Amino acid sequence: MLDAFRALLPRLSPKQLIVISGLGAVLGGGAIAPVILLVVLGAMGGTITGPPEQPIAFDHSVHVGKAGIACEFCHRGIPVVGNTATAMSAPVSAAATIPSVEQCMFCHAVVATDSPEVQKIRAAWETGTPIDWVRVHRLPDHVDFVHDPHIRALAETHPSFTTAQICATCHGDVASMTEVEQVRALNMGDCQGCHRENSAPLDCAVCHK
Amino acid sequence: MVAAAATLPTDDPHPETDGHRWGMVIDSDKCTGCQACVVACQSENNLALNEENRVIERRAKTWIRIERYWEGEWPNAKARFLPVLCQHCGNAPCETVCPVWATYHNPDGLNVQVYNRCIGTRFCANACPYSVRYFNFWEPEWPSPMDRQLNPDVTVRTKGIVEKCTFCIHRINRTKREADRDGRPVADGEVEPACVQACPTTALVFGDLNDSDSKVSELSNSKRAYSLLDALGTTPAITYLKKVDPSHVDEHEEHGH
Ligand code: HEC
Ligand code: HEC
Ligand code: HEC
Ligand code: HEC
Ligand code: HEC
Repeated sequence: MLDAFRALLPRLSPKQLIVISGLGAVLGGGAIAPVILLVVLGAMGGTITGPPEQPIAFDHSVHVGKAGIACEFCHRGIPVVGNTATAMSAPVSAAATIPSVEQCMFCHAVVATDSPEVQKIRAAWETGTPIDWVRVHRLPDHVDFVHDPHIRALAETHPSFTTAQICATCHGDVASMTEVEQVRALNMGDCQGCHRENSAPLDCAVCHK
Repeated sequence: MVAAAATLPTDDPHPETDGHRWGMVIDSDKCTGCQACVVACQSENNLALNEENRVIERRAKTWIRIERYWEGEWPNAKARFLPVLCQHCGNAPCETVCPVWATYHNPDGLNVQVYNRCIGTRFCANACPYSVRYFNFWEPEWPSPMDRQLNPDVTVRTKGIVEKCTFCIHRINRTKREADRDGRPVADGEVEPACVQACPTTALVFGDLNDSDSKVSELSNSKRAYSLLDALGTTPAITYLKKVDPSHVDEHEEHGH
């Protein structure tokens, strides 16, 4: 409930907050105090802000759920783990990576070519312009997140997990999402909570660069 | 609060290292003062350009700098070069003065600056006897197209915080992760900070001081070894090797050394 409420509010920088709080103080508090409270709550809400609008209505539930395409077929930066991996996965990369237009065209040169959304892909392919996907998860610049050790660690601690289930630990059930949205806080407390449970490093320099 | 305290490793100024104690050896006999390390560091670590004004204002930032000293009188003057960077002291004066624990000693023996934690008191920079901590008086700016070549592994520091050499911790972390993935220890010489990699005369050597077989361990036991401002008891992770001066060697030999 609180999260949904926070999601409605803008995420502000500390500087903006100070300015707003200062303004509040000057105006005498009383009437404006609840407003400040809302803004502060909103800022504390982290990056959870609901799904952004994407340039093409890409649907994970169709591709993963119905078409049965593996996550690592498209997100090639994730590592090869256990027997869930396909030969497609790149050996290692910090980012999972978003597929290039070319990868969509493997199928969409022939699949659903009469759909207006798919025609956008073809247009991008023909003009050689990349698709400007909007980032859903975005940690601040000073945080160094790497997928590789996480996927490996989760594959080790949960040998029965498929890749999609491993991803679901942090990203939720993407396989059934029409639009990807962030479901887990993935802020410092969240990262450290899981690190503490799994005796993963808690040294500031591991996550901060 | 109790749980948070467990994550702050500053309680003990000499935490047990879990295997590594990164260190460097700088051979002043090999240093030609070419500045390749300075340039490499500048581009690796997203340091803004030091324009002329910045130098005149004495606010230029160089995580590694080559100090130049003259010995003797013209025409027999000799230039002496001394690369100076953060010494990653075992007993660091900067760490104890930070009111917000933005600088601390990590389990690998590195002196770490957590930029997002820093509030810019500059106490650390004042406490540092080596003057290797730099305050950001301005937002960093790069003329186009240089703003397109920033290193994504290193944070761009904003105005109002202190920064310094990290021993290229992003390279250390990456190498450790790769070794971890392959299930092997980090090999000697596998981690190379940008300055070490760029040095054309291998005057800079980097490695693990806890590994008694590493090149740094071997070199830091050399007879020529000394540390900067040794008397202060900061126990730096950087060991310097004295210049081999033929005239001095002769003199020593005459005196039976
Ligand atoms: C057919 C290719 C394809 C497959 C298969 C696929 N994805 Fe994606 N994924 C995309 C594209 C394209 C985007 C960018 C558009 C978007 O965010 O919806 C994306 C975005 C994402 C994002 C959000 C990235 C961000 O911006 O933060 C996550 C998380 C994600 N996918 C997880 C998964 C998981 C987990 C699976 C497997 C269950 C999976 N994906 C399977 C193509 C694919
Ligand atoms: C431990 C938690 C965690 C797990 C497990 C995880 N992710 Fe992520 N993922 C993140 C975080 C945090 C980010 C944001 C990274 C950033 O902003 O630098 C992210 C970002 C992404 C992105 C967008 C940015 C990029 O890296 O390209 C994609 C796509 C993605 N994840 C896909 C996946 C897939 C596919 C899996 C499963 C194989 C997976 N993730 C597993 C935490 C996780
Ligand atoms: C492995 C094959 C495959 C790949 C690769 C693939 N798709 Fe699809 N896509 C499908 C299938 C199958 C459907 C379902 C078609 C249907 O419902 O008739 C589909 C449907 C779609 C639709 C909905 C079409 C509509 O209007 O019904 C969109 C949009 C789409 N894909 C975008 C993409 C994008 C963007 C990429 C690249 C990131 C991509 N697809 C990669 C197989 C693929
Ligand atoms: C679901 C649990 C979980 C979450 C959530 C999580 N981590 Fe991790 N993380 C781990 C585990 C387990 C390891 C240890 C992997 C290993 O031992 O190699 C790890 C390792 C790491 C490493 C590599 C450490 C090394 O050995 O060098 C980094 C960096 C990291 N995590 C950052 C983050 C950040 C940043 C976040 C939050 C966005 C985060 N993690 C969230 C479980 C998690
Ligand atoms: C497991 C990973 C992890 C570790 C370990 C970690 N942090 Fe963080 N930290 C994060 C993440 C992720 C964020 C970004 C949270 C967000 O998006 O709001 C963050 C944010 C911060 C911020 C807030 C910055 C801002 O601008 O809002 C500070 C300050 C900070 N960390 C300091 C520290 C210090 C000091 C330590 C060591 C005691 C530390 N962190 C250890 C992951 C970590």
